[in-house]
Amino acid sequence: MKRPIKVLIAKAGLDGHERGALVVAMGLRDAGMEVVYTGIRNTPEQIVQAAIQEDVNAIGLSSLSGGHMAQFTRVMELLKKEKIKGVLVFAGGIIPDADVKKLKKLGIREIFGPGSSIASIAEFLKKNVRSK
Amino acid sequence: MSMTRRELTKLVTRLEAGVPLSPELYARTGNARILGITGPPGVGKSSLIDRLIDELRRQGKTVGVIVIDPTSPISGGALLGDRLRMQRHSDDDGVFIRSLATRHHHGGLTDATPQIIHALDAAGFDIVIVETVGTGQDEVEVAEVADTVVVVLMPELGDEIQRAKSGLMEIADVLVINKSDLMNAGAARQETRRPKQGQRWERPTLRTSAKTGDGITTLCHVADAHHAHLAASGQLAGRRERAARAEVIRLLQSRMTASILCALGASRPQTILSAVAKRKLDPYDAAQKLWVEILGSKNRSHKYVATNSR
Repeated sequence: MKRPIKVLIAKAGLDGHERGALVVAMGLRDAGMEVVYTGIRNTPEQIVQAAIQEDVNAIGLSSLSGGHMAQFTRVMELLKKEKIKGVLVFAGGIIPDADVKKLKKLGIREIFGPGSSIASIAEFLKKNVRSK
Repeated sequence: MSMTRRELTKLVTRLEAGVPLSPELYARTGNARILGITGPPGVGKSSLIDRLIDELRRQGKTVGVIVIDPTSPISGGALLGDRLRMQRHSDDDGVFIRSLATRHHHGGLTDATPQIIHALDAAGFDIVIVETVGTGQDEVEVAEVADTVVVVLMPELGDEIQRAKSGLMEIADVLVINKSDLMNAGAARQETRRPKQGQRWERPTLRTSAKTGDGITTLCHVADAHHAHLAASGQLAGRRERAARAEVIRLLQSRMTASILCALGASRPQTILSAVAKRKLDPYDAAQKLWVEILGSKNRSHKYVATNSR
C-alpha cells in the first residue's frame, strides 16, 4: 500500500488563533492525508523535532499574530541545521505580501492567505510532495 | 541510544510500510518495559501520558511513545491529535513520540505496532508507552503487547454493570479514573491496595487528574509495583511468551488472508461466491468448498473452522 502523505500542522509562538489551522488539518484529512496536528504555542524547536519523529512529508505553519517572520525563519534555520531534506514547508494565515517574498526566499514553498481553498492546498501538496 | 533519531524515525516508517525488523535488531529487544494505555475517547489518555513522561523523566528514564488515532473509513486520511497533548516533550532528547493511523486495522493498535515497539525497545528506551485508539468495549489487543495495561476511565461513565462487563475492563492491570478533579468531594475513596510478595495481583483503582497532576506519582509507583510483581511471580516471562505467540499468529493470519484474497480472484471461486449471493449455495458450504480447494489436498481432512462446522 502506498503511504498516505503525512503532514504536520503547527502554530508557532504566542498565537492562539487555531481555527484556520484546524480547518486545514481536517480538510487535508478529508483529502486522504495523515495529519499530525500539534496545536498552538509550539516552539520552532518542538516543531522541527516533531517533524523528525513523525517522519512527515510536509510541514504546514500557521500564523495570524504577526510573528511569522521570526518564528518561520527559526523553523527554516533548524531544518537546515538538522540537515532535513525533502520535507516541504508551506504556510498560511495573515501574512503581508511584502513578507511572502521573503518567506519564499527562506525556502517556504507556498503561502496560503485568507480565501485559499482547502482543495488548492491539498492539490498543491499532492503535486509537490516527494513521496517516500 | 544505539541509533540516531533520524535512523529510528526512518526505521519506524519502513516498519509501518510492512518491511520487517531485521533479526539483528530483534535480538536486541526485550529490555524495555511496555506500558499500555487504553480507554474510551476523551478520557484523557494522552494528557495522562504527558504527565507520566514528566514523572519518568524525573526518574531519569528514557521514554518511547506510540500514539494511535483512527484512519477515516471515508477518506483514508487521519487527524492525529494525540501528540499535541505531549508536544512540550518533543525537544527532549530522552523522549521519542510517534503518531500512527490505524489504516483500517481493528483491535486498538495498528498492523505494525508490535514491530514498532521492538524498534523503540532496540533503540534503548527504558519504557515504551503505547496509547491505543479510543476504545469501546472490545478492543483489547493492547493486552497482547503490553507488560502492564492501564485502563483509563473518567467519572460518570457508567454504573457497576458497565464495569462488570467483559472485554476492556478485564484486561486492566491498573484502573485509572482520570479527571478526578471533576468528582464530588464525597466520591469513592481511592483504593491503593498493593499486593504483598507472591500474592495474586489485586487490580488497584486510582484517581488521577492530568489537569492538576494529582495521582500521577502514585500511578507511576503502582505501574512499577505491577511490573515488579510480574517479574517476581514469574508471570512476566509468561506474558512475553504470549506476546510473541500473538505476534507470530497475527503475521500468519495476514499472510493467510492475503493468499485467500488472491486465490478468490480466480474464476471458480467467483462462481461459488455468486452462487451464495443468488441463494443457490449457503455461506458455510461455500467457505468449506473454498477452504478445501484453496488450501489443497493436504488440508482436506481439516474441518474449515471447528466452531463454524455444523
